[in-house]
Amino acid sequence: MPATSPVFVFPAFPNDYTGHPGNDLEGFSIQFEQLIKEASTSHEFLLSGFNFQSNNFLDDELKTQYITYLYSCAAATVLRKKQIHPEYSAGYSMGIYAALYDAGSITLDTGLRFIKQAYRSLKSAIRGKTYGMGALIGLERKDIEMLISNSHFRIDITNQNAPYSYVVSGIRDDILEMLSLAKDEGALHTRSFPVSVPYHNHLLKDAAIGFAEKTSHLDIFPPANPVLSLIDQKELNTPEELRCEITRNLHHPLNWYKTQQWFVMHGIQQFIECGPSRGLVKNAKFVGLECRFIPLDGIH
Amino acid sequence: MAKITENTRNEVKEIVYNFFAEECEVDKSKINDGTFIIKDLDGDSLMFLELIEIFKKKYNLEIELKVIGKYSVKHPVATIGQLIDMQMLIIEHENRLLDLDIKS
Repeated sequence: MPATSPVFVFPAFPNDYTGHPGNDLEGFSIQFEQLIKEASTSHEFLLSGFNFQSNNFLDDELKTQYITYLYSCAAATVLRKKQIHPEYSAGYSMGIYAALYDAGSITLDTGLRFIKQAYRSLKSAIRGKTYGMGALIGLERKDIEMLISNSHFRIDITNQNAPYSYVVSGIRDDILEMLSLAKDEGALHTRSFPVSVPYHNHLLKDAAIGFAEKTSHLDIFPPANPVLSLIDQKELNTPEELRCEITRNLHHPLNWYKTQQWFVMHGIQQFIECGPSRGLVKNAKFVGLECRFIPLDGIH
Repeated sequence: MAKITENTRNEVKEIVYNFFAEECEVDKSKINDGTFIIKDLDGDSLMFLELIEIFKKKYNLEIELKVIGKYSVKHPVATIGQLIDMQMLIIEHENRLLDLDIKS
């Protein structure tokens, strides 16, 4: 068990489930199977067909989000059973629903409904155009902004992960062209994401309002621990604040780098990545903060 | 600009070999200067970045990542030996790395 209370961080969906860290976390497999079963019986979707080795849901953006949510919920449940309780929690991008479930603010079923409605609202808003997302490392924000404005790319910077690590979203062709130009400008690493929704882009504001209306009947309860906003690094302690956050989260840029800084400034020394990848653990190597990121297979 | 000693290359080599042995879970004895980073070790550009961070801290380097990025476009690295050569140039020239192209 960690020496001080950690932050539970819930990541967005991964590109690959093979070698997932929960495999080495005692009690995880049983918990995950239980949640998959629960989700499959209470909803129309057949999640029980998921297989870690064949990655058979990766071509379905919605199913992948369900699986990541259930995975993260199972992981956090196991940690709490091991008497590891977070001081705070934070949901990275679409990981916000798992953060709310873990904090006791929503039920498993409500989380699935939020995910489904968010996906439907966003997809219907972007019909007719091809969108995407990408990541680049090595440039400063002003360099990226210059690339975007010089070529009139329809792209937003939608997250900062580390001092020189950014995520962008927008029109897919613009993203691909911008990533190529970024290489010439000195970006050491670029990658486009296999997603069709430009998450956290300002273009999704109307869709987010539609999402809020269609989910207003779903219950949100006070969280057991504060959830930190990745948008403005404010503590979210009430159902109203959380409801507002899950709407803003769809169309507003995030700043994961600032969020990590906030936690460290408030005495947090350990983060546990409660999800199927080690992406945030890996990212922490480039952040330069005095803290420790632990993947699920690092819990003993 | 960092001071290069006779020992620096050995130090850099040791760090690079140990890094890839650990990250790629490969026996260190299987790595040599001709080993291809992507093809033989299944490495990636994020590992290259991680190494840069390690060297920046160790030698207190003043270098912008985009300077290294621009240099890499013209001088791509494929093998461990080429990577060590580039790290040596980064340590020696820091933000003046791109001046090497002008001189040559």
